[in-house]
Amino acid sequence: MGLPISTILLTTGFLLMLIGIWGILRHRNLLRIIIGFGLLDTGIHIVMVATGYIAGGTAPIIDKALGIDEATTRAVDPIPSALVVTAIVIGFSVTAVMLAYAIRIHDAHKTLSIDVLTESKW
Amino acid sequence: MVEALLQPLNIFLLGLGGGFLIPLLYRIGKPLPAIAFVVALGGMAVIAAVNFSNLLNGQPTIEVLTAGVTPPLSINLRFGLWEGFFVVSVSIAAILGAWQLWPRLRDSYGALLLYLILIMGINGMVMTRDLFNLFVFLEIVSIATYGLLSLDRTPAALAASFKYIMATVLASSFFLLGSALLYHATGTLNIDQLIAQRDAISGPIATTALLLVLACLIIELKPFPANGWGLDVYETAPCGIAALVSVAVSAGVFFALFKLLPLFENQLWLIAISGGATFLFSNLVGLKQTNAQRMLGYSSIAQMGLLTLALALLSKQGATASLPLVVGGLFVNHLFAKAGLFWLAGAVGQRDIDGWSAISGRPTGLLVFAMLLVAIAGLPPFPGFWAKWELVMQLSGAELYIWISVVLVGSLFEAAYMFGWFKQATRALPGQAAAVLGFSQMLPPIACAVLLCIAGVIAARLSEAAALWLFAPLLTGGVLYALDWLPGRVKCLLMMLSVLGVGAWLIGEVQGINRLFALLLLSGGLVVASAALYRTDARPGYFPLMAVMLLSIAALTRSSTNLQFFFCWELITLSSYFMIAQGQNARPHALPFLLFSLVSAFCLLAGFALADAANGTPLLQAFRTGGADASAAFVLLAIGFLIKAGAIGFHVWLPGAYAEADDDLSAMLSSVVSKVAIFGLFVVTYLAIRSEAGLELAHLMAWTGMLTTVAGAAMAFRQDDVKRLLAYSSMSQLGYIITAIALMSHLGWVTALYLVANHLMVKGILFLAVAGIIWRCGTRRLDELGGLGRLMPVTFVTVAIALVSMSGLPPLAGFGGKWLLLSAMADKGWYGLIAMGVLATFIGLLYMFRLGHTLFFGAARKAAIGEAPAQLLLPQLVLVAAIFVLSFFPKLLMDPVSAAIDPYFASTLVWEGMSLETIYGYWNPVPVMTATAIAAGALFLVSWTVYRIGGGRAAVHGIAQFYAYYTARTRPLAIPVATKFWDGVAAAVVASGAAVRRVYTGNGQSYAMYILYYVVALYLAAA
Repeated sequence: MGLPISTILLTTGFLLMLIGIWGILRHRNLLRIIIGFGLLDTGIHIVMVATGYIAGGTAPIIDKALGIDEATTRAVDPIPSALVVTAIVIGFSVTAVMLAYAIRIHDAHKTLSIDVLTESKW
Repeated sequence: MVEALLQPLNIFLLGLGGGFLIPLLYRIGKPLPAIAFVVALGGMAVIAAVNFSNLLNGQPTIEVLTAGVTPPLSINLRFGLWEGFFVVSVSIAAILGAWQLWPRLRDSYGALLLYLILIMGINGMVMTRDLFNLFVFLEIVSIATYGLLSLDRTPAALAASFKYIMATVLASSFFLLGSALLYHATGTLNIDQLIAQRDAISGPIATTALLLVLACLIIELKPFPANGWGLDVYETAPCGIAALVSVAVSAGVFFALFKLLPLFENQLWLIAISGGATFLFSNLVGLKQTNAQRMLGYSSIAQMGLLTLALALLSKQGATASLPLVVGGLFVNHLFAKAGLFWLAGAVGQRDIDGWSAISGRPTGLLVFAMLLVAIAGLPPFPGFWAKWELVMQLSGAELYIWISVVLVGSLFEAAYMFGWFKQATRALPGQAAAVLGFSQMLPPIACAVLLCIAGVIAARLSEAAALWLFAPLLTGGVLYALDWLPGRVKCLLMMLSVLGVGAWLIGEVQGINRLFALLLLSGGLVVASAALYRTDARPGYFPLMAVMLLSIAALTRSSTNLQFFFCWELITLSSYFMIAQGQNARPHALPFLLFSLVSAFCLLAGFALADAANGTPLLQAFRTGGADASAAFVLLAIGFLIKAGAIGFHVWLPGAYAEADDDLSAMLSSVVSKVAIFGLFVVTYLAIRSEAGLELAHLMAWTGMLTTVAGAAMAFRQDDVKRLLAYSSMSQLGYIITAIALMSHLGWVTALYLVANHLMVKGILFLAVAGIIWRCGTRRLDELGGLGRLMPVTFVTVAIALVSMSGLPPLAGFGGKWLLLSAMADKGWYGLIAMGVLATFIGLLYMFRLGHTLFFGAARKAAIGEAPAQLLLPQLVLVAAIFVLSFFPKLLMDPVSAAIDPYFASTLVWEGMSLETIYGYWNPVPVMTATAIAAGALFLVSWTVYRIGGGRAAVHGIAQFYAYYTARTRPLAIPVATKFWDGVAAAVVASGAAVRRVYTGNGQSYAMYILYYVVALYLAAA
């Protein structure tokens, strides 16, 4: 039988999140940091999808194959999937904005290292 | 049709539709995007305003359903009173902000689009009732903010923006994960459903999910210390954008926390602690700040912390009835004051506060600046004042005393750096170009100041304190300010007329002791104020402030509740501060004056809060009769009034403020304003009578008073500066009055009032006489003055009379006062105090003799042109006449005083019902006064002998030699202990601020790390 798919997904998701956070904190290069954020996002998305999954479930389309009575027990919850789509779009645009900033920062500072971004402090 | 147009959902149609349309219109023609922007933004504001006003008129909350399905299957939005209030406030700020940013917005359709989307997103955060929808709006707001931040492309701004993005993306990731897990645990994203099933949200996953959502909201509110990213943006962003982030974006996030708060009922303490720490530490670090925008950033973050604290604590106590006043008041106060300050910073264009002297010559700029600062500091008449009062009263009712101190200490720090900034702005630097404040740039801050005034009145009504008489001083000041273009003397006359008219109306129905004080202070104030006629210059703003101050004093005597009293008290403080700050060299002394006044005010606030709880009612009348032991309240109130009276230890603000204020203002401060503190002591001292401990405290107060007298006299003795000498002398004389009040007996109080009247007249004369001397001789140094007796005969006579009366020599009023005081102390058996009193009398004689002798006899050093101007002499002569009346017809004052005190005094105290003749008759004044005179004479003999046989005499002639000798001899004793102490305290506080701000390293990854730590700490603390 092995591990249920949702467990694998959850583990993967949380692992990706941790890797993403590690990347954000560990790497000095802005692009790598942005990749870290991407991984964090993706991890969350996977976790979200996994929470809606029902082992052995089917697509949430009520028809002959899936009666209304069984809908809550046999169908995969469609809401997390819907949420994830939105979250992906938002994550995408945030990543785009960050990349745009990385380009401008590179133009202004001639480097992509986050260590130089300390003009303002205290 | 109209109704459909005004549906709140149209706010989003306008925002999104306008947003999508703008790029299209940009292709068609240049002005079109701007027109669409104006229509959309204006439309959103109109819809919000109309719906809000409908709600205020009693219409039901608007529930907006979408997609033709009922929630929770679809997203729903709500437009109730709270939502309406936030949306309308944000819309007004958005319109003013767009006006301010217009030069930048106009040319960039992208910026127009982002601005519109940002405001729409904030409205969405406020209105939505769906958790995931809230996340979407949060992200819309964030992305729009990121875009707008890129308007400024300096390297520092780009760097700060990137850190901001990192932090907020982390925070919103927590929100996303939290809401997904919450859905997993509960099966719903509808906020109302979640709140309804709050009890079912348990178990590790659901709890973690809740905490993640909470963590996001708290992080977005920029908690200390995980908030460096926010500060950097406030510092480097264009002023207009920083203002939006500070007030509008924060408003959206705060409202999200507000509406989700029922979910976090177990975490209310945590939320309060987070808010309290943020408020306290942000303000502490702000003390060290010199960059105007970053300073505003610290203040913004602190204010959001205060809001969070207030929300959490009031919810914890179930005091939901206070939420509109406290949360609404603090919110709207911060919104307009902070946005206004950011916009003003944009108009002035000086990044460093040192450069703000550029607006020193700009009255409008200074006025708006001052109003916004006063609002931020939570002072009247602005909504923050009423909100803070209510908050402290609620906290006191719930016995949350630590929280009161957090609120008050944080507020003090905030006022310190804010008014330190104002200090820079009032300093004119030679050679610096004045700032050009264009009308269009000044319009938003001016609008903010006006809105704050309106909001202040509304908040006063919510506090049930809105009365015409309470606002009469401000209204009169406002009218006079509108006439400020008139010549100086005309303004002075107008001021006196209006104070006379309005003041008479104000005190018309005042009774008892209050009436005596009212009559004394108002008439004394008018006489002293008339001296201002001797100057012909315009003195911008001076006369309106004078009217506010004098009328506030009148209103103070009319106050019947704690709140009214405190309101008038703060107005007196503020108006005198702004007048002192106008003095030529007063700049370094005005700030200590204000800060000590604020410490005093905060002691009063805390004391009133405790008394409110002990008395069970906010009525001042209850101080006389209330029930429980209120020693703690008495201590706080007494300390508050003693600070304001310049009692020993707290006197360090006094000499500078009195000496460096304008010469005629010094007379007012010393003779009239100082009596306000004495009046306060009269009002609250009844508290001490209620318990044995209280009477012990009164004894302590008597010693404080007497030590103040001795120390003041000793310092006056050592002074070479005439005005400083008089300032210390004033401190010394107030000490006598404090002691007299502390006697807690009928006789003591009669004495106190007698001394009050005497000192008012004496110091009025002396300061005005000195004003004349300075006017004629151009110096106030004793060693440069002399021989004025022949040149200024009238001044000589008035000063001589005043000195005789002050020193307590017969036959003038001071004699009666001092004799009464000594008798009353003898009656109490306070012999130690009597000895001190004799010593003080002796030193007093010495410095007064020196003053009179040096000024009017001896060699003429500076050539005086002649007698002082008649405008200065006339009030002096009036006061001299009053001294004579007081001296030879004491019954005129004593009988009403006696009558005023009698009915209220507790029956345990002596002298009840006894008329003055009885008191005079009971005692024989001769032995007491003889003994005193002998003792003083003996002391003089001793000091003269020491001087004759001692070496090291200074090389000056005559009587001055005697003083020079003792000045040198007493130098080792004259260590400015108090000054050193307070300087040390200030330095230590600033140094700790400097140490704390080291956490803000400027490194984005450190900031991300702080956020993670913060979330982990929050989780551990909650779990």
